[in-house]
Amino acid sequence: MSKGYYAGCDVGSTTTKAVILNSQGIIADSIVPSKTDPEDSANAALDEAIQKVNGLDRIQDLNYLVGTGYGRTQIPFANKNISELSCHAIGAYSCDPKIKSVVDIGGQDLKAISINEDGSLCDFVMNDKCAAGTGKFFEAMSRVFGVELCDFSSLSLEAKKSIPITSQCSVFAESEVLSLIAKKTPPREIALGIQESVANRCHVLLRRIGIREKVAITGGCAKNAGLVAALTKMIKLDIVQLSIDPQLIGAFGAAIFAQRDSKAS
Amino acid sequence: MAADNIIVVNILKKESILHMLPKENLLDDVVNNIENNLVKEAMNAGRIPIGYTCSFVPEVLLSVDKLFPLRLHAPNITGTSSADVYMPPVVCSYCRSLLEFGMNGHYDFLGGWVFNFSCQHMNRCADLIQHSVKPKFVHVLDALHSNTENTISWMVDELKILSDKLSSHFNVEINEESLSTAIIKHNEFILIMGEIGDLRKLDNPPITGTEFHKLMIASQVSPKDLLRKTVEALRDDIKKRDGVKDYRARLMILGGILDDPKFIESIEDVGCLVVGDHFCTGSVPGLNIIPEGPHGPLERIARHTMAKPCPRMFDPIDNRLDSVLQTVKEYNVDGVIIEQLKFCDPMNYYGLAMKEYLNDSGIPVLRIDREYRLSGEGQLKTRVQAFIESMGK
Repeated sequence: MSKGYYAGCDVGSTTTKAVILNSQGIIADSIVPSKTDPEDSANAALDEAIQKVNGLDRIQDLNYLVGTGYGRTQIPFANKNISELSCHAIGAYSCDPKIKSVVDIGGQDLKAISINEDGSLCDFVMNDKCAAGTGKFFEAMSRVFGVELCDFSSLSLEAKKSIPITSQCSVFAESEVLSLIAKKTPPREIALGIQESVANRCHVLLRRIGIREKVAITGGCAKNAGLVAALTKMIKLDIVQLSIDPQLIGAFGAAIFAQRDSKAS
Repeated sequence: MAADNIIVVNILKKESILHMLPKENLLDDVVNNIENNLVKEAMNAGRIPIGYTCSFVPEVLLSVDKLFPLRLHAPNITGTSSADVYMPPVVCSYCRSLLEFGMNGHYDFLGGWVFNFSCQHMNRCADLIQHSVKPKFVHVLDALHSNTENTISWMVDELKILSDKLSSHFNVEINEESLSTAIIKHNEFILIMGEIGDLRKLDNPPITGTEFHKLMIASQVSPKDLLRKTVEALRDDIKKRDGVKDYRARLMILGGILDDPKFIESIEDVGCLVVGDHFCTGSVPGLNIIPEGPHGPLERIARHTMAKPCPRMFDPIDNRLDSVLQTVKEYNVDGVIIEQLKFCDPMNYYGLAMKEYLNDSGIPVLRIDREYRLSGEGQLKTRVQAFIESMGK
């Protein structure tokens, strides 16, 4: 076994992320589409990250591996599994210890997380009963507009005013948006309305845990600049620009736990 | 299947969480089937099952002569499409599930139904059951919402009306003597269950929360006298077990009607142990005996019923909060999970107050909205795991 390689693997509903650390920090990462079997997803993400590290050949060479995400219990070769809430908390804290509140917008759920002074999980709320306000919701909306996700974000940033989207359910929202498009409503205004609708859901969750500065957004949807702008305006606070890809925060947090737990054991 | 033929086998599940019986066991049959083998056995002997919906309907009153009580549940229900026509989705899913099962004929074997005016949703359910199922015997008990001498007196009158109605409809003898006998038998059973429940207070309880919950449900959905030998055998067996040692946290469940043991199993699957509970279908207050006293049996039953700490009561909430905190201390609980059925108004108010009160007392709390039937197991496990991680466990 090689020395000093610690990994975190975040098996999400849409993508699987892996981060490998050594004493210097992150040395490799990967993001791959999730497969049907979480074990296959973890293998694919870890293999891709491992290929980027000289001296690492296979998963068994890692000193310690922590699994997280919805598929965390289905990674048989992980030393431990830790909930994604704790991993996002420690991951965000490690990027900036002043971060106290995190909104994690994943493929199929939305979470607000409150962080203790030491980076541990303080409190959380989750919205996981429907796709509203999640990555799946944005995918559906982009499909309606016939654009890529990144273009959808840019479109919303061009708008001077927004058309409110009243439906919370992604199926009804899709129908509402189609009706607006049929009425020749400017797409950018609809797009901004969608961003504000999701930002509102994030705001509601944040208020339930109590917003404390600094605030960060993690998960794949954190790359949606239009959503970040809408939430910034809504909570009237700046949102921290993370030092690493926000989609990797869960895996990064898991890798930090791997490093800690390996030393402890 | 005769109740005393059960073979008690210990199975070591993953990570030393104990499970007491093989899959084909009697408890699983009882918990998963309304018209289970014990119910059939009793009915074959000429006895009459009376369904009830709320712990404010006294079981003992339905345990006289050839009657036996069955708390109504809807195991493994997959949807409520028929009931949804009459009850919108903002009505609690327990009520909708009962109506669905009723409309689909699952309760046709019952001799009668006894409701209580528990809440507005249950009142509506009672109306709709009468409208669409048309049972031959229905009674709606009117237990008032506070526990005073006046409301107890009212409850005694209510119980008398019910017992007279049962006597005349089913031609059964309900008098002081038969009621006193029913109370004695009820208390004996409760004491056996209490012995098992008390084992959960140990540092290394020899019974998991899932197992205990199955037992609690079984004791409410089958004739107690037919279940008694099984419960006694289990008690003796459980006492001989090694306790569970490698759990991460001791949790207590607080909330509304909980009929699916898989809910607790999912919680325990992340490595914690449910050692206590505080809800109407659980051990507190379910395992309180009906005390002796100077009063007649109806009044003893009324006093026992009205003293139950339930969110439907309008009494000062402090007593209920203190009762929960006392249970937390008694069972050495690390954290509390408040599970509430969506759209349950009494529980919404109670759950919020309870969370604040327990947090102020230094007890970590996780609040979970749920449907009657367990769904989203993965999300539940994530929440519970994160909860115990936030406790540093």
